[in-house]
Amino acid sequence: MLSNLNVVSLYLDPQIRDWVLFPITLVMILVGILRHYVVILLQSPPKKLSRAAIREQRALVHSQVLRATSTNSPVPESFYKSISQNLSQAFTAGTYLKDGPPQGDAPSTPPNPLSDPNAMDGMMAGMKTQMVMMVPQMVIMGWINFFFQGFVLIKLPFPLTLGFKSMLQRGIETPDMDVRWVSSLSWYFLNFFGLNGLYRLILGGDNAADAARDMATPFAAGVPQAPGQAQDYNKLLIAEKDNLELAEGLYSWVGKDVEQRVLRRYGKFPPSS
Amino acid sequence: MDLPSALQKLSIYRSRNTRASQETFDKGLLVLKGNGLKKLGDEGWAFLEQLALAAIDVGRLDIADRCLQLLTEKFPGSPRVDCLNGIRKEVTESPEAALAYYNQLLEADPVNVAFWKRKISVLRRIGRIDEAVDELIELLDTFYTDVEGWLELADIYSSCHQYTSSLQSLSHVLLLAPQNPFYVLRFAETAYTAGDVPLAIKSFLNVIDMADSDEDAPIEQVPSGFQVRAWLGIKLCSRRLLQERRLPSPSQTPVPEHLQLIDELATERLKTVYAGRDKSDKEAHEILEWLSRG
Repeated sequence: MLSNLNVVSLYLDPQIRDWVLFPITLVMILVGILRHYVVILLQSPPKKLSRAAIREQRALVHSQVLRATSTNSPVPESFYKSISQNLSQAFTAGTYLKDGPPQGDAPSTPPNPLSDPNAMDGMMAGMKTQMVMMVPQMVIMGWINFFFQGFVLIKLPFPLTLGFKSMLQRGIETPDMDVRWVSSLSWYFLNFFGLNGLYRLILGGDNAADAARDMATPFAAGVPQAPGQAQDYNKLLIAEKDNLELAEGLYSWVGKDVEQRVLRRYGKFPPSS
Repeated sequence: MDLPSALQKLSIYRSRNTRASQETFDKGLLVLKGNGLKKLGDEGWAFLEQLALAAIDVGRLDIADRCLQLLTEKFPGSPRVDCLNGIRKEVTESPEAALAYYNQLLEADPVNVAFWKRKISVLRRIGRIDEAVDELIELLDTFYTDVEGWLELADIYSSCHQYTSSLQSLSHVLLLAPQNPFYVLRFAETAYTAGDVPLAIKSFLNVIDMADSDEDAPIEQVPSGFQVRAWLGIKLCSRRLLQERRLPSPSQTPVPEHLQLIDELATERLKTVYAGRDKSDKEAHEILEWLSRG
C-alpha cells in the first residue's frame, strides 16, 4: 500500500518526456549514426604491403605446411629432408626477413613502433577514430549535465532492489526515492551502452557507431593488428626452426609400407601379417 | 534452351571454375540477349567476367569488348577488370605490349597475384622461359600456398626435361594438397620419366591406396579412370624392377618388398579392366598381349 502511495505521489510533467527524454535519446542515436559515417570517411584504405613484407609475414607458412603432415608425409624422405633443411638454413640466416639478414651481433631490439612509419600511420588512424568517439560523447554529457541536471525522466515498469540506485539515479542525491525512477544522467549511460542493438538494426552488423566497444579497446579501433605489438619475425622464425627439427624426428613417409597395405586390401596377404 | 536453366548452368561453371568456353559463350549470349543481366543483380558482374573470358577464348572479341565496357563502367580502376583488359590485350596486341601493360600494373601494385601470374604466362608463351621460371619462383617464395603456381612450375620444368626439378615442385604440391590422388599420380609419372623407378612404383601404389581406401572390397571393383593409369604404371615399374632389381634411385627409395606379388596383382587388376572388352577393341587387345608377355 505504502509503495503504491509513493508511486502515485510523483507526477512527471509530460513536457519532460517531450523535451528531455526523447531529445536525449534521439540526439544519441543521430550522433551514433553520424559517427559511423565520419569513421568511414576517416578510414584510409589499407596500406599495400611490399613484396618483401608479405614474404616475411608468410615465411612461417612454409614450415607449417611441411610440419602439418610430417607424421604421415606425402613426400618421400629425401625431398622432405631437403625442404626441411633449406627452410632451417633460411630461417637461421634470416633470408626471409624484410630488411635482410640481421647485421652481426647487434642485439635484436624489439622494433620501436614510433620509428616505423607504417605503425605510426596505424596509430594515427586509431587516434582519429578515438577522437571521433570521444568528442561527441563528452559534448552530449556536458549538455545533459548543464541543462538537465537532477531531472527525473522516466519510471521503469518493474521493481528493482536498492543496489541499482547508484546506477539509475546518478546525479540525484535522494536516499529514499523509489529505485524505479531514472535520472537524466543515468538515462544517458543506459543509452550509451544499450543503443548498439539499434545501430546494428539501422547500419548493419559491422558498424562504427557503438561507442561502448571502443571504450574497451582504445587505440586498436579499426586497426586489425595493434601497432604496438609489431612482431619480431626473426625470433619467430628461429623458434620455428626447433619445431622443424622436432617434426623431422616424427617424419614418416606415407608410402613407406604402402605395398603391404595395398596387397592386404586386395587379399594377397594374410590380414594379420 | 531457356533462360533459367542457362543461368543455372553458368553459375555451376562459375563455382567449379570450369573452362567450357564454347558452351559458356553460347549460354552467356542467350542470357545477354534475353536481358538476363538485370535478373542476375549483383551476380551479373561475375557473369560478365565469365562471359568475357569465354568470348576471348572462342575468339568473339566483339562480345568480350561489350562485357569489358560494361565492367569498366561499373568498376573503374578495379584490378580484376584491369586483369581482364590485359587478357584482352594479349589477343590482339603483341606480347611485348601486353608485358609492358602488366609491368605497369605491377609497378603500381607489386603484390597482385593475378597480374603477376599473367605476366609469367606471357613470358612463358613468348619463350622467355628462364625469366618466367625466375618470376614464378619469386611468386611462390612469397605466396607459398599457391598450388596452381607450383603445378605450372612443375609443368615448365618437365617441358624443359628438368624432371628432378619438376619432382621437387610437385612435392610442394603434394604437401599443399595431400588429399588429391591426381597430383600423386602426376608425381609418380614424373618420377618414372625421371628414371626413379622405385620412387615411381611407390607413388603409383600410393595412388591406389588413396583411391580405394573407402571401398570395402576393392577386389570386386573394376578399376576405372586414373586407377587404370596407376595400375599400368605399377605394372610397368614392377616389370622393370623384376628384370633388374638394382635400378638406380636418386631419391634413395628402397625397392618395395613382395615385388612378385605386386606384379601379379597389377596384371590381374588390368585384366579385369580389359578382358571384358570387345575383341575388336584394338587397345584392349594390345594391352592384354603386353600383359601376357610379362
